Amino acid sequence: MKKTLLLGAVLSVAMITQAQAEGTLNIYAWSDSIAPELIEKFQAETGATVNVDGFNSNEDALTKLQAGSSGYDIVTPSQHFVKIMVDEGLLEDIGATDLAAYGQLDDRWKGQWWDPENKYSIPLAYGTAGYTVNRDLYKGPVDSWSVYFEPPAELQGKIASLSYPDEVVGAAQLYLGIPFCTEDKAEMKKVYDLLMAQKPYVAAYTSDNIENRIGSGEVAAHFWWDGNTLRTRNSGANIEYAMPKEGLVGWLDSFVVPKGAENVDLAKQFIDFMSTVENATIQYNYYAHSSPVEIDVSKAAYTPENAPELFPTVPVEFSKACSPAAQDLVTKVWTDLLQ
Amino acid sequence: MTVLRSFRFWGLVPAWAIMLFTLIIPVGIVIGVSFAERGAYGGFEWSANIDSYRELLFSLGWTDELEFTPKYLIIIGRTLALGLATTAICMILALPVAYIIAQSPGRWKPLLIYLVTLPFWVSMIVRVYAWLIILGNNGLAEKLWRFVGGGEIDTFLFTPGAMLAGMVYSYIPLMVLPVFAAIEKLDPALLEASHDLYGNRWVTLRKIILPLTWPGLAAGAILVFVPAIGTVLEPMLLGGGKLMMMGTLIQSQFGGARNWPFGAAIALVLMAIVVVLLMLNARRASRKEALL
Repeated sequence: MKKTLLLGAVLSVAMITQAQAEGTLNIYAWSDSIAPELIEKFQAETGATVNVDGFNSNEDALTKLQAGSSGYDIVTPSQHFVKIMVDEGLLEDIGATDLAAYGQLDDRWKGQWWDPENKYSIPLAYGTAGYTVNRDLYKGPVDSWSVYFEPPAELQGKIASLSYPDEVVGAAQLYLGIPFCTEDKAEMKKVYDLLMAQKPYVAAYTSDNIENRIGSGEVAAHFWWDGNTLRTRNSGANIEYAMPKEGLVGWLDSFVVPKGAENVDLAKQFIDFMSTVENATIQYNYYAHSSPVEIDVSKAAYTPENAPELFPTVPVEFSKACSPAAQDLVTKVWTDLLQ
Repeated sequence: MTVLRSFRFWGLVPAWAIMLFTLIIPVGIVIGVSFAERGAYGGFEWSANIDSYRELLFSLGWTDELEFTPKYLIIIGRTLALGLATTAICMILALPVAYIIAQSPGRWKPLLIYLVTLPFWVSMIVRVYAWLIILGNNGLAEKLWRFVGGGEIDTFLFTPGAMLAGMVYSYIPLMVLPVFAAIEKLDPALLEASHDLYGNRWVTLRKIILPLTWPGLAAGAILVFVPAIGTVLEPMLLGGGKLMMMGTLIQSQFGGARNWPFGAAIALVLMAIVVVLLMLNARRASRKEALL
């Protein structure tokens, strides 16, 4: 009798662990980027357990995958990092063209340079990086990057930048008319000179807690993203996302599956789940960044009238995957700037 | 006899295993990576080159020639200066605090010590964010400043002072505890003797209290200085990330800069500084023991 009980206990423990191993989906996504409502819905529908960890920069996500056995089944890097991850052999070929999600995808995101054969990635959101001003503190024009990089007196000492160079250097390049990922030292020296001249007017280089800093007026201008500005504006802050005539830096985040992930099938199931019209609309309304998959426009919370941030009126230039030589120049600019 | 001897060997195996897996192997890996070839997009390939160490002193300038670059030495120097300043301020503040706790009635002592350690129960990030609110626009610091009639002030936040305040706050319990332990052992009769021999307060402090509590101060100094030079949070959040520290530099090398070997090399420089300090301290302590 005792023996049977023990055996039963051992068996049930074994089965529970088995079930957990099969039914756990570990997601590594941009902080607060996936609607909690959808996570709950997916768990209810499939019985799987979903864990979501957040990252604040593409570099963090890349480093984690490079370190090996990250334990994640889904990661959501931007396009230029998808390209690097593919080239470095860090991603699982999920045959994205066979997924239902692929059918929902807008044609302009198919066969792009970061995943030409659509083997590895399904986009989930896209948008722009630019700067946001607090309208209680700054009343002037925001039609050019010059306001941000060569600030007028009212903004001096009241500007904040990000803690890493990725999109900031891109914006400086747009302003100066220099191509992204240039390997030309003389051109990058100009970027350095611009940022160095801006530095005395910069209060902080930090990527954390931006909504509080710009919303509360701790600073009057902040390098930021479109949808985050929208969300913070909708929660009552008097802020405006600039539309600089030189252009905005574009990004597109995609679902990818790291090589060696434990639950590839569940990951694919989740990607399909997120891309149905109904769920993509919920996600759009939560995340407030543009959706690359089809949504139900009648239920969408954001329109060009109430969300100008998401419908840029200026050119958008998407970040590229820089060569190591070009990346070293970007790093040099940043290290020399903050040395 | 042989049983005892073999137990001496086997009994220590777990300790050695922990040393091996948590100290020797990881440090070995860091040393190995610092000599490795950097991968194009982060990561590395094993090899044996000293590029990372050369880069500490020399790098390609804007005009494409190899030039002496003091920037990393400046970052290291600044980090050490910040660590020393933090340690010094902690010492000055901790001594009276520890003294008062040691002199307080017996039943109060455990409570006061508990209060000193209380902040450790709250996440470091939360505590640093609290300082964001204190030092921020219209925060407590600004109101207090206006109340005492201070002039127009822009902001306390994102200044070296804010960073230093945050660091002193974070690490001061590590100083109070060992200093308290040292003061507690101090024999009050010695203070009385000093006064009996016409030693005034200053003389008593200098000749009696400081020398006898020095081991506690030295232990506290190491406990504060070592984490202080590796800190990342306070320079980023309170200092505004405008000046790189060794911690942030290492972080950027493993992240955006995608140069793991160089990051490993800087981490080893940081470790070398700590090891030298600990060795100096150990030697000083053993010399003192020899004298006694």
